[in-house]
Amino acid sequence: MAQAPFATRDEVDFVVIGSGAAGGIMAKELSEAGFSVVVLEQGPHLKGPDFKHDEWAYTQNEELTWGRRKGHPQTFRRYEHEKAEIVDGSALTYAHNVGGSSVHFSGNFWRLRPIDFMERSVLGPISGTNFADWPITYEELEPYYTKVDWEIGVSGQMGPWDPPRSKDYPCPAMPVKSSGVLMERAAKKLGWTAYPAPVAILSKAHNGRPPCIHCGFCNGFGCEVSAKSSSMAAMIPLALASGNCELRTLCTVSRINTDASGRANEVLYWEADGTEQAQRTKAVVLSANGAESARLLLLSASPQFPDGLGNSSGMVGKNLMFNGSSRVAGLFPEPINAHKSIPTTRVIHDFYSIDPSLGFYGGGGIDSRSLTAGRPMAAALQNPVFASSNWGSEWKQNLMREFTHTCSFNGHCTSLPLSTNNVTLDPEVKDKWGRPALRTTFMNHPDDFKTMEFFMERSVELMEAAGALEIVASYNKTGQTGGVHLLGTCRMGNDPDSSVVDKYNRSHDVPNLYMVDGGSLVTSGRGQPTMTIMALAFRAADHIKQAARKLEI
Amino acid sequence: MSANTLSRRDFLHAAMCSSAACVRLSCSALTVSALFVAAGKTMAETLDTEISTINVLNPDEAADLAAIAARIIPSDETPGVTEAGAIYFIDYVLGSSRSELLAPVREGLVALKARSEEIFSQSDLSRLAPFQLDALLKEIENTGFFAMLRYLTVCGTFSLPEYGGNRDMTGHTLVGFDHRHVWAPPFGYYDADYMARGE
Repeated sequence: MAQAPFATRDEVDFVVIGSGAAGGIMAKELSEAGFSVVVLEQGPHLKGPDFKHDEWAYTQNEELTWGRRKGHPQTFRRYEHEKAEIVDGSALTYAHNVGGSSVHFSGNFWRLRPIDFMERSVLGPISGTNFADWPITYEELEPYYTKVDWEIGVSGQMGPWDPPRSKDYPCPAMPVKSSGVLMERAAKKLGWTAYPAPVAILSKAHNGRPPCIHCGFCNGFGCEVSAKSSSMAAMIPLALASGNCELRTLCTVSRINTDASGRANEVLYWEADGTEQAQRTKAVVLSANGAESARLLLLSASPQFPDGLGNSSGMVGKNLMFNGSSRVAGLFPEPINAHKSIPTTRVIHDFYSIDPSLGFYGGGGIDSRSLTAGRPMAAALQNPVFASSNWGSEWKQNLMREFTHTCSFNGHCTSLPLSTNNVTLDPEVKDKWGRPALRTTFMNHPDDFKTMEFFMERSVELMEAAGALEIVASYNKTGQTGGVHLLGTCRMGNDPDSSVVDKYNRSHDVPNLYMVDGGSLVTSGRGQPTMTIMALAFRAADHIKQAARKLEI
Repeated sequence: MSANTLSRRDFLHAAMCSSAACVRLSCSALTVSALFVAAGKTMAETLDTEISTINVLNPDEAADLAAIAARIIPSDETPGVTEAGAIYFIDYVLGSSRSELLAPVREGLVALKARSEEIFSQSDLSRLAPFQLDALLKEIENTGFFAMLRYLTVCGTFSLPEYGGNRDMTGHTLVGFDHRHVWAPPFGYYDADYMARGE
């Protein structure tokens, strides 16, 4: 092991817990500003050459996402009176590696729109939910969205479909795929607009990274050429180059300690071999994602913070949101080859806000994709889409026809924040380190179901207009059982009684503790939250740098 | 492998030739075991001598599982599980990342063989005619045991060859998945047409 630049007993300026979408940005911004930073990441530092087109390893053996097979079981239940059961794989899915889920995500990069930040004021309350306005506006966040565009690297085409933006995309839109052409042509027939999908994948060389080679292994896989704009590819190298950042991988945090005055002063963690360490620090940035950050706060309970660190509101872990979804598969007469290139090249936002007169809350977008992220094993494993059996010659014939000739118009939509949807510590199940397992309690709000159904119906209309030979439509009618968008569990707000962090992602309770990840989202947006998570991180970093220089942390 | 042992490639070639002949003559003659017999060996004998990397399953178990897998993704006009060598994968993962499935697979096989003996007076699944094996599998197609076998068969057919199956990219080729690392537009028919029309 190389000589560590920082000793654990020496107080560093910041410990950043997690190196994902937000953590990578926090590490880069704070270290480049001259602060000493230690990043603790529980996974390894995989880079481009480490990634493979290996479905068995990545999708079945959880090489990146870990889960039960890797000693990290999770439990799930619908309602709080039920006993949670261990799930196969993970309910809350995220990658365990430097760059976090920004490494294996699909790269769809939608900005939120002005309405997202003030929807509660526009629409009024929704009974039984924690539906609320954000403490910030789109205008306040817009400069940071643009910062993400240019520093992280986003491809897209500026147009009337965009929310207001101060600067064009740094890279032009990716080449349209057949699935996108089918969507675009169908949308025109219906009077809707399918526009080039903004993606965190480079269409041309940018910031020293090469453009996409269209290999098709984006969703669920790491990019072999670093064209995908993960924080691993775009931010971590800059943080390390600053000379002020030490990245400690395979280090699993067990708790955040506080001093007598209630300030965070030490982060405890295990190294890979189980050795316990404690890093002293002036401040902590918790960017472990919407599941892990909540768990760590709950695990850091003390006599001073009996309900968990930073949890005087009781909101830590609550308001878990995933984004709803629907899927409409279409079979076409000619080859689509949706497995090639990036997941999606066209998106429709004509229904960003569903007409309230329909009697329910919701909104979203529709994009054009492969049915199974373009993976042959996944296509064969799933329930047959256009066949009646799942084995034998007939099924095989269908599989041969389906794989290259199908695409999917997927709905991505709102989820409402509920106190009863949450992340807690499982009272019985432990992970390999002996920590209580993540326990998810989740049942969609009735409006979530109506919204998913609405988007499924619109996608069916699109598929019909696109001329699909056969159409199969679905959404989860019994309720979602997990997700990859882990939102709302450390919600942002001005009121310390109903939120966990303030408008700069600072804990209401612990002045030198910041929670910066998907947990801080107040509402779910319409899907694809990573762009917003990254913009919030840049914004929080700006605030932290200013506050730290004024000794106000 | 000794010089007088039928190589796997030669075997598959013979099997496929036999398969084609079977298809032309009679569908009912198209059985996996028949293919092995046509190649001059029983399946068990072939597995015993041909598949040197079967380490976990015994030859009878491997033959039975290979026969079942060959009904899940059959070899017909196009190659199936047999050509993909999924049994190598199944054996490999039952001894490694899916070792927890070995006991249930064995238990399920014992029960299925007993049922086969009861109905067809033949417990060796690899010697059943396809319609007989299909009938047996139809009875259990909604069970966890069948789901396990289907899972292992599919994964063995579509995983990278380094895990034992999908030999010569048989599974990938079957569905039209050309495993390249670089593509350039156009990717499919509709975007080619879009480009041609200047849309």
